Amino acid sequence: MSLSQRQLALLLIAPGLALVAALFLYPLFFSLVSAFTGPDGGFSLQSFGKAWELYSGDVVFTVVIVLASCFFTGLAAIVIAGTLTLGENRWIVGTLKALYRWPLFIPFIVAAQCMRTFLAKNGLMNNSFVSLGLIEPLQAVSFLDWRGIIATFVWKQTPFVALLLAGALAAIDRATLEAGRNLGASRIRVLIELALPQVMPTLLVALVLSFVTMLSVLSVPMMVAGSQPTMLTVDMAFRINAYGDYATANALGVITYLISAGAAIIYLRRGMAQEGAR
Amino acid sequence: MQPETQARAGSGAAIAVRGLQVAYGGTRVLHGIDLDFAPGSFTALLGSSGCGKTTLLRSLSGFVPVEAGSIVVGGRDIAGLPPEKRGMAMVFQSYALWPHMTVLQNIGYGLKLRGRSKAEIAAKVGEMLSFLGLAGYENRKVTALSGGQRQRVALGRALAIDPGILLLDEPLSNLDAKIRMTMRHEIRAIQQRLGLTAVHVTHDREEAMTMADRLVIMQAGRIAQVGTPEEVYDRPASAFVANFMGAENVLPLSIARSGAQAAVAAGEARATLADAAAAALPSGEALGYFRDDVASLGALDAPAASGDLLVPGVIAARAYPGGIYRYKVEAAGRQITVDDAGRHELGTKVGLRIPLQRLHIFPATEAGIAA
Repeated sequence: MSLSQRQLALLLIAPGLALVAALFLYPLFFSLVSAFTGPDGGFSLQSFGKAWELYSGDVVFTVVIVLASCFFTGLAAIVIAGTLTLGENRWIVGTLKALYRWPLFIPFIVAAQCMRTFLAKNGLMNNSFVSLGLIEPLQAVSFLDWRGIIATFVWKQTPFVALLLAGALAAIDRATLEAGRNLGASRIRVLIELALPQVMPTLLVALVLSFVTMLSVLSVPMMVAGSQPTMLTVDMAFRINAYGDYATANALGVITYLISAGAAIIYLRRGMAQEGAR
Repeated sequence: MQPETQARAGSGAAIAVRGLQVAYGGTRVLHGIDLDFAPGSFTALLGSSGCGKTTLLRSLSGFVPVEAGSIVVGGRDIAGLPPEKRGMAMVFQSYALWPHMTVLQNIGYGLKLRGRSKAEIAAKVGEMLSFLGLAGYENRKVTALSGGQRQRVALGRALAIDPGILLLDEPLSNLDAKIRMTMRHEIRAIQQRLGLTAVHVTHDREEAMTMADRLVIMQAGRIAQVGTPEEVYDRPASAFVANFMGAENVLPLSIARSGAQAAVAAGEARATLADAAAAALPSGEALGYFRDDVASLGALDAPAASGDLLVPGVIAARAYPGGIYRYKVEAAGRQITVDDAGRHELGTKVGLRIPLQRLHIFPATEAGIAA
């Protein structure tokens, strides 16, 4: 019996495919089924009802936190990438270039731990403010809540977005930026009106990827904020660890998946609209 | 300056460059340039790559920091100003149009920066487009235009702000040959109509000659010669300029001066010059530079006129570029390119007739660089 090219190809990828199926597709399918299964074993939306009843506030909290983080990450990345591209002070550009990528190599959990010691009521930030005479010790407030989560996410994700954005900015024709300055545009206007529109697709990809990443981080909300309201990842871990309640956890998982699918759809739609306009 | 230019010289601005020095990371690129640009003049900066012509243009426009020296426009030294404060409009080699904007937005951007109303911008852009032969193109995407159209839009974008000075950074080198010819005339005509002071960087000799009132030949960060196209072509100031302007044949000469006469020898061949022509010659070892169309081919024993050198040679190669034949002739130990109407076979012994008057002769010591 001789194998056709097609059969041979299938045979070759079979081990990899089997691995993906066993370790990823099967658990995914299983958790989906589990989310839609009632206590009696039949189809039911009961888990979703329970998840919504207990955690609807956290769903909104999660979406707001992640969107706000994306917004500030985008802003910080634009400032960094813009400075790297249009900066004229070689010392500032050189230092920024050397420093800005470091958080990329620091895991989320370490970043969260750093932020705890930095943002706590008696943390490094408040201590510095007190010793600088900016605030009284009694005025010191802990930032270990939603603000801490956003700060950590922005700190951790900015280098990634800035890296992609700076790469895209470096790839556009520099003469298009010089033409703007030649006609009288300041560097800020050149960045906003001439450079960014040319790299918008890259910025959007970077932000969608960041959105999905931040949506799935457990360590940061758990370590930095801890209390209610919190993010869906913490709720999922809690349902499983405290109650062994896989059904509700899986329902929360499906909700998370739908939120990230929403981001993906926005991205794809924009991409198609651009293709259509061309 | 040409008559039409003088008639409308009002809107162009004068530029005075003094002692301009520019360095890239410790390497000096411009070594003290002194140059004046008269209002309404068209100057071409010409030179081989790396000579500093683009750096000079970019230091005028403010994209290259100036180490020392001044650039005075309208009585003000602008050498320290950022590009956006200089009021010079530049046209780039890559057109540098903004792909996310329409033709209207591209051309109108400079006006938008100057706070003009939408109606004003639309009116000015419409005027600009019909001026450039692109009427009705306002809402086209610039990515949908051809190379020539793009360069016209880029020109319109520069001209829309009514600049006194137009800087052209090799604007035609990305265009195909036919469109390049048309654009040469168009740019020149527009510059004259508006009376702009134009500075054009190019490495294309013919382009510079046909467009400019004045050529500035640059060599290794210095000015080698400034003059009208005729001056630079017919009376090159140095061996480098002669060579750059197309006099690529080099003939080693030995010159003996006696009184009002000069005896010139090239190998066995001899000729004499008298009076003014002789007085201009250096004495001793020299190199003569000449173009392909200067020498002619004849019989070895043909009588030579007194001012002609008759150098014996052998035809080594032949090509037919059209109209005339182009020969490589081995003579006086060199390969010399000669255009001639007649067809000669390879290996033929010929007499290379070179009129001394049409040689650019420089002492061998100073000419060494270009030989």
